[in-house]
Amino acid sequence: MTDNTPTSAEAILNDKSQSAPTEAALEYDLLPKLIPHLDRHLIFPLLEFLSGQEGDDGTEVTKTKYELLKSTNMTDYVAQLWQEINDSDEMPEEFLKRREEVLERLSLFTQETSQIDELLSDDSVVSNLRSDKVANLKFLETNHGVTVEMVNMLYDYGWFQYSCGSYANAAHLLDQFRILSTDNDKANSANWGKLASDILTTQWDVVMGEVNKVKEGIDTKLFNNPLAQLQHRTWLIHWSLFPFFNYEPARDQITELFFSPAFINTIQTNCPWILRYLAAAVITNRSRTRNTGQYQKQLKDLVRVVRQEGYEYHDPVTDFVTALYVDFDFEEAQKKLSDAEEVLKGDFFLSAAAEAFVEAARHLISESYCKIHQRIDIGDLSKRLGLEMEEGEKWIVNLIRDTRMDGKLDYKEGTVLMNHPANSVYQQVIERTKGSFFRTSVLSAAVAK
Amino acid sequence: MSRFFTQGDSSSESSSSDEEELYSDNEAEQKSEAEESEEEEASEEEESSSSDEGGKSGASKFLREAASSDESEDEDKIHVVKSAKDKRLEELEGVVKIIDNAVKINDWSTIATEFDKLNRQVTKITTSDKAPKIYIKTISDLEDFMNETIAKQKVSTRKMNATNARGLNAMKQKIKRNNKDHQAEIDKFREDKFEYMMSEEEEDVVPVEKTKKSKAVYMEGIDIRDDEGFSTVGRGGKTLQYTPESILKQLRSIVESRGKKNTDRAEQIRVMEKLREVADTPYRTIRVLLTLISTRFDLTTGSTATFMSQDNWTSAEHEFADLLEELEANRNMVVLENAEEWEDDEKPPQPAAGETLKIPGSVVSVVERLDDELTRSLQHIDPHTAEYIDRLKDEQALYNNILRALLYVENLKKDAKLELTDDGANRVVMRRLEHVYFKPAQVVHVLEETAWKKVPSKFDSDITPRTNDADIDSLVQTLSTYLFKHSADIIRANAYLCQVYYFALHDQYYKARDMLLMSHLQEAIGNFPVKTQILFNRTLVQVGLCAFRANLIYESQNTLQEICGSGRQKELLAQGVMIQRYSQVTPEQERLERQRQLPFHMHINLELLECVYLTCSMLLEIPLLAHTGSSPDIKKRIISKTYRRLLEFHERQIFTGPPENTRDHVMQASRALAAGEWKKSAQLINDIKIWELMAEPEKIKAMLSARVQEEGLRTYLFTYAPFYDTLAVSTLASMFELSERKVAALVSKMISHEELAAALDQVNSAIIFRKGVELSRLQSLALTLSDKASGLIEANERTLEQRTQGTANAFERQGGQGGRGGRGGRGRGKGRGGGEGVIVADQGREEDSNLVAVHLVERSKLERSMFFIFLLLQRAT
Repeated sequence: MTDNTPTSAEAILNDKSQSAPTEAALEYDLLPKLIPHLDRHLIFPLLEFLSGQEGDDGTEVTKTKYELLKSTNMTDYVAQLWQEINDSDEMPEEFLKRREEVLERLSLFTQETSQIDELLSDDSVVSNLRSDKVANLKFLETNHGVTVEMVNMLYDYGWFQYSCGSYANAAHLLDQFRILSTDNDKANSANWGKLASDILTTQWDVVMGEVNKVKEGIDTKLFNNPLAQLQHRTWLIHWSLFPFFNYEPARDQITELFFSPAFINTIQTNCPWILRYLAAAVITNRSRTRNTGQYQKQLKDLVRVVRQEGYEYHDPVTDFVTALYVDFDFEEAQKKLSDAEEVLKGDFFLSAAAEAFVEAARHLISESYCKIHQRIDIGDLSKRLGLEMEEGEKWIVNLIRDTRMDGKLDYKEGTVLMNHPANSVYQQVIERTKGSFFRTSVLSAAVAK
Repeated sequence: MSRFFTQGDSSSESSSSDEEELYSDNEAEQKSEAEESEEEEASEEEESSSSDEGGKSGASKFLREAASSDESEDEDKIHVVKSAKDKRLEELEGVVKIIDNAVKINDWSTIATEFDKLNRQVTKITTSDKAPKIYIKTISDLEDFMNETIAKQKVSTRKMNATNARGLNAMKQKIKRNNKDHQAEIDKFREDKFEYMMSEEEEDVVPVEKTKKSKAVYMEGIDIRDDEGFSTVGRGGKTLQYTPESILKQLRSIVESRGKKNTDRAEQIRVMEKLREVADTPYRTIRVLLTLISTRFDLTTGSTATFMSQDNWTSAEHEFADLLEELEANRNMVVLENAEEWEDDEKPPQPAAGETLKIPGSVVSVVERLDDELTRSLQHIDPHTAEYIDRLKDEQALYNNILRALLYVENLKKDAKLELTDDGANRVVMRRLEHVYFKPAQVVHVLEETAWKKVPSKFDSDITPRTNDADIDSLVQTLSTYLFKHSADIIRANAYLCQVYYFALHDQYYKARDMLLMSHLQEAIGNFPVKTQILFNRTLVQVGLCAFRANLIYESQNTLQEICGSGRQKELLAQGVMIQRYSQVTPEQERLERQRQLPFHMHINLELLECVYLTCSMLLEIPLLAHTGSSPDIKKRIISKTYRRLLEFHERQIFTGPPENTRDHVMQASRALAAGEWKKSAQLINDIKIWELMAEPEKIKAMLSARVQEEGLRTYLFTYAPFYDTLAVSTLASMFELSERKVAALVSKMISHEELAAALDQVNSAIIFRKGVELSRLQSLALTLSDKASGLIEANERTLEQRTQGTANAFERQGGQGGRGGRGGRGRGKGRGGGEGVIVADQGREEDSNLVAVHLVERSKLERSMFFIFLLLQRAT
């Protein structure tokens, strides 16, 4: 087991090509800010990603990796790192000793938990379990001689496995532990362990369930300790970044989670840099969501938060939002967009979404540009969007078709004419009084009865 | 005596006098006098707001003892006066006459003094509950006259002179208090004046037989004391022999004479100063110093002076410093509030080795009192005189002492044996914080540096280590964090506010704002004492000013709105007493308010505040006015009522001269801005002198000019949009001297927020205004009506909801949904469910349904009129 290696960045990203980071990306690198809120094992893929980017000069990163994993039980891998750093082939004594120890403990654990493990894999036993944990434990105790110590052993073994880097086993053990344990604190911490293990084994479906479980745990168990709640929420926010950008169905759910009052407060007070991810998510969501109303609302919320936190945190992504929706400075927005692209490409979580982001951002720019302008020069707009003339024309035609805007191209002049019909008063009055008859009849019905 | 029995201020007094009923009348007589003097003492004490309850009771105890113990000796000296009653009455009548005369010439100060005399005499005469009729007549007349005078006072423009006014106020209080006791009699008297005076002459009680001048008692008391304790000290200070052994005795007698009338405190202080010189042991020195300092404080209490004289204060301050030094030198002696008094004067306590000797007293209280006295004197001295500055210099000395006291208290706290609470340290830290929080960093730096220099290098503080003194910014933070951790409630809130204030003062707007918001104090501030509320207001204002400096006009206006919009800035910031025109303020309230006033050097410049507030309001209101100005029926949003009022007033003026004060400047700038003359407006704003008081006036002015440019452009567009078809961006740019890009951005913003019905033409770089957006009167009325109609429906639903509480949750906003879009089907299903819920729940709702039904009738009328309007609209288009 000691020969496990941690999950690499590629495994999580199922990856595209990685380009070398530019200056802008380096300047806005969030890694130092993210690290304190992540688990050791979760940091590893991030470092891996970094080393992938830096190419040859990876010794710094390797050293960091070594420091990071030193205290874990992945002795083989650590030793390998050590060799890499020190450029030697032989393995120092201490690693061998550690290795022995780890293996010893491993066998010990396996022995001690074998019984309960068997029991739980036995269908006849499992079918007798019910939702009441106390009753379950009692049942197992009387019929099969399972003690609380044994259950706790499961928990310890789970951690041990996790530390060894065999995350699947860890997830399994912790899950079993949760079924039986009545100790709330430990169950809570098992929740976190399970979440981490699942993330590292990239079981995104399961991860989403775990995220919800942890969230509920925070809400219910820590309700009288706001500080701990804040801390835990910050962790959860950071951890859930993994599924956020790697698992499509999770995105809506997590966006919603981040926008819920408790979490948006946490982001604002404790970790404003998450706004980058939130902004990226909202903007890339554009093409996917069918529900424009909800999208508009999210965008509005985002603009509000980004604006509020402008003094505490800004990077090209949030700057883009500010330029487009607060200052209406299209040139600036365009500039920020290209910066943002760089930053996204250099970001572990967002590198895959960079293109979708740029695409969606272009849409946003042209959408609000068309809303404000009446006559637009196609050439100019194409330049603004960073496209060729031909391409730009196509783009605009698509845009008009997609958004059902009222616009016409004037080929001779090379312009687009936008028609903004005024909201007629007549229409307004109708809108405002539309439901009144119905409401009245409901009311009168309620009164008459 | 009735007066004293009914309102004696301590229960022990009345009970003890009950016991003494078996004494002869003579004794009772003397007692009454003794009590009388006590009473006066007490009232004096009350007036000077000293809260020395403990001292008073101790003193009065002594007084009574002195008076009663020398009873036997007195007996033979006192002459029996035959016609005592007549003599008394004569005296009384004499006083009444003086009062009458004073009344005629409206001399209230005389009335006040004579009234006191009168009361004193009356108590001598009356032994039963009945007061003499002439007395009743006088007080009743006085009350009438007083009411009359006050009424006149309100009408007349001429002011009373100060002494007279003070006398009147004092009388108002006294009469109110006094007459309550005799209310029955007074009523009787008022019913039929003449008859009352004539009748029941015979009821007059038998007066006491013996009289004695009140003076005698005091003399006697003092004599006795001389016999006991002051044997070596002649009254005139002739035989001055002070020995260390007698110190404690003498101190005791001084302490016991405390609070007693006719005590010559100055004399006592002299005595103690001498005692201090002869004191040989630290214990004695400490005792002498403790007593000496408190006596110095007493000096102001009894006298007419409203604050401690500077000499006196300085000596007290020096003595306090000496005391601290003495205590620092003698670690085995501590001054504690709850220590037990050492009873044996003959031999001073000898603490065993390693034990600490506890001496009763309080270092914290003394330092607090020193602080209070300095503040009080600063409150009363005219801030524009050299004297004020002179006094202000003493603050450094005070701060030194606060720091040292803090070190001392901290040291005591370390001693686990003493089991001290946090309270003392908290109080000192709070005082220290209060001297620091409103000052700029440089000033604090000097203050700190000088203070630490005075402290011997071997002492250091845990709360604010000496090494920290270079890092001034963190001082306030350290102090307030300490308090936040260790204290509760009020001190905590104060500390927090101080910190916010300091941040705001030092241009850390976001930090200050976030802290202020996170504290949630704005919700609970009403429950805090007035002093904290004032601090809160000050902090709020400071945050507002900070926002202004940071070019956050909107935030600044919002923050300042509540304080400045009220028109009571002075009162809210405790920087001056408001003259209340309509409500009658009792002198008590007025006195309290005066006490709360901040000394001048802590003031926030009100003119600057007003200037900032008005400028902010201008920048927000003028574009808004231009925006809403064209459509009269749109619900008008008002940002600042105060500003609007001023603006209206200004516009009504027929002739406007060149601006004289800040307000004029802002108002004329507003008009210029509204007319699109941004340059003139910016010029007027920049001409305001008071910007010089800000840290970087040039920066502020540049910032304001830029803002005026932008707002000018917006105003211009709002105002003149209806008259243009197209407008070139370049024209606008040159007109307002802004870059084209900036203009385009501003216009885009306005278009996007639907403030302006227009679109940009990128090819020609022009603004094209949309036609037909301007509403006709009929159209806007129709819109308003439709708004009102939906408002009415909502009100109906709410009414029904309220009446059928709990069950009507099916009604929740479903109407709203229906109204917004064609989701009728869903809404209907819900609605029906709601209806059923209503029936099941409650049956006694007949009248409610009637009520709703009335609304419904109105509504159907409304709907009909809506229909007409549709028709009209159709015809019009």
